[in-house]
This record gives sequence, structure tokens and C-alpha cells, in this order.
Amino acid sequence: MTALPGTRRLLITWALLMALTVVSMVSARLDQTTDWQALPLWSAALVLMATGFKAHRVLMVYLNLRAATLVWKGIFIALTLLTLTLIAAGYLVGRFHIT
Amino acid sequence: MSRDLPNPGWGPLSALPGNPLMWVLILSEMLVFTAFFALYAAQRALDPALFNASQQQLDPVLGGINTLVLLTSGLCVAFAVEAISAKQLRRSRQWLAAAMLLGLAFCVIKSIEYADKFAAGLMPETNVFFGFYYGLTAFHFAHVVFGLLLLGLVSWRASTENIETAAAFWHMVDLIWVLLYPLIYLLR
Repeated sequence: MTALPGTRRLLITWALLMALTVVSMVSARLDQTTDWQALPLWSAALVLMATGFKAHRVLMVYLNLRAATLVWKGIFIALTLLTLTLIAAGYLVGRFHIT
Repeated sequence: MSRDLPNPGWGPLSALPGNPLMWVLILSEMLVFTAFFALYAAQRALDPALFNASQQQLDPVLGGINTLVLLTSGLCVAFAVEAISAKQLRRSRQWLAAAMLLGLAFCVIKSIEYADKFAAGLMPETNVFFGFYYGLTAFHFAHVVFGLLLLGLVSWRASTENIETAAAFWHMVDLIWVLLYPLIYLLR
């Protein structure tokens, strides 16, 4: 049995995850139902940063990787960063292809 | 030092919390999804206009609600692990039941979304975007269903290791959705 995150840390993490999800939705300008446009770059960057932070919190607190060694933490964080980089690259290439 | 490891005798995996085999599964699932995400990103780069037009047919608010639902079910599962480790079996089962209810809510919302798309004539073969949309979300949906079965199973055969292992799988399902949601619904 490893050291568990504890109720307080779990609740803080959950609140952060909820808030960041709402931040992502607001950044993606979901209120603009009649005027569907490409996101400004800062919005897309905010969505990706919020996603990265959420993924980090899920890994470290929900999955309790904080109790694992630095190497394992590094492997999972690197894989998440790679995924986000690929997503961002596909998005940016497509975006500059349009303009 | 080795006595401090969660799983002594598992070599490099001994430093990971919970059942080491679940971590092998989590890592392989993450690699598989990363490969699919890379394929999606490459296709998007080739035809961004088609992807943007198709994304407009989705409901990102429903997707966002599903994100909130799934992450809250993850909290319930984490509480179930905390409870079983404190020898509170009944409480742990209650948290697992709450997590399963939220997991079912995710499935209902996703099914409503699928029904809406089918009604609008948007099928997997409609275009490459919808091929990815159905492929990725249905693959994830299958993981949610398997996770629900797993949570039900460990609720019945409750032990610290079983619940910790099922919880790890459920959090992996959370993690994949956290990455999938902006990719499919938000980035345009």
C-alpha cells in the first residue's frame, strides 16, 4: 500500500480539474454559437495548457504517481507532453495552411 | 530501501503504486491513444477546412459536461480507495457505486450525442473527421464500459489491491478523455 493523496488533496485536485475544464470551454469560445470561427492562437494555447495541467494532476494525484520514482513520473509526463505536442503540431500546421 | 517500494520483486515496476500489471496496460493504452491522436493531427493538418466544418456539427458543451462527469467519477473512485485503505468497506462500496452511476451518466450523454449525429446523417463514413470522431470516442466508450464492469467486479470482490487496480484503470480512462476532449471538440 502506498501513501494515498488524502481527502484534502483529492478535493483540491477535483476543484482544479473542474475549473480548468470550464476555462477550456470558455477559452474555446463556446458561447459564439452563431459565429463559428477559428480560435485565436492565445485561446488554443490556453486550451492546450489547461489540458496539460489537467493531465498532470490526473497522473500525479488520481493515479497517485507522486508516490512513484522520478523515472516513472518522467516517463508518463514525457508521454503526455509528446501527445500534446503532436496535437498542437497538427493544429498549427493546419492553421497556417489555411491562412 | 526496497522495503519501501509498493511492489517489491517487480523489477522496474516495483516503484509504481497499485498492481504493476495495470501500469503495463495503462502505458500501452496511452501509447495506442497517442498513435491515434498523432494520426488525427496529421489528417487535420492535411485538410483543416474539412475538420473545422465537421467539428461545427459537434456539441462541445455536451462534451464538456461529460468531462466534468467523468472527472467527478474519478474523484469518487479515489475516495473508494481511501475508504478501503481505512478498512471502511461499506463506505468504499458506496463511493464505487457513485462512480459507476456517474460512469453510466457519461454513457447516456455520449449515447444521446451519437443518436443526434446519426439522426443528422453524420456517420463514420461521412468523411475522415467523422471516421476519427466515431473511432476515437467509441474506442474510449468501450474502455468506459469495461471500466464500469471492472468497478462492479471489485465492488463485489472488494479488497484494497482489487479496488486500487480498478481505480488505476478508471483514472486512465479519465486521462484519455482529458486529452481527447480538446482534440476533437475544442481546437479549431
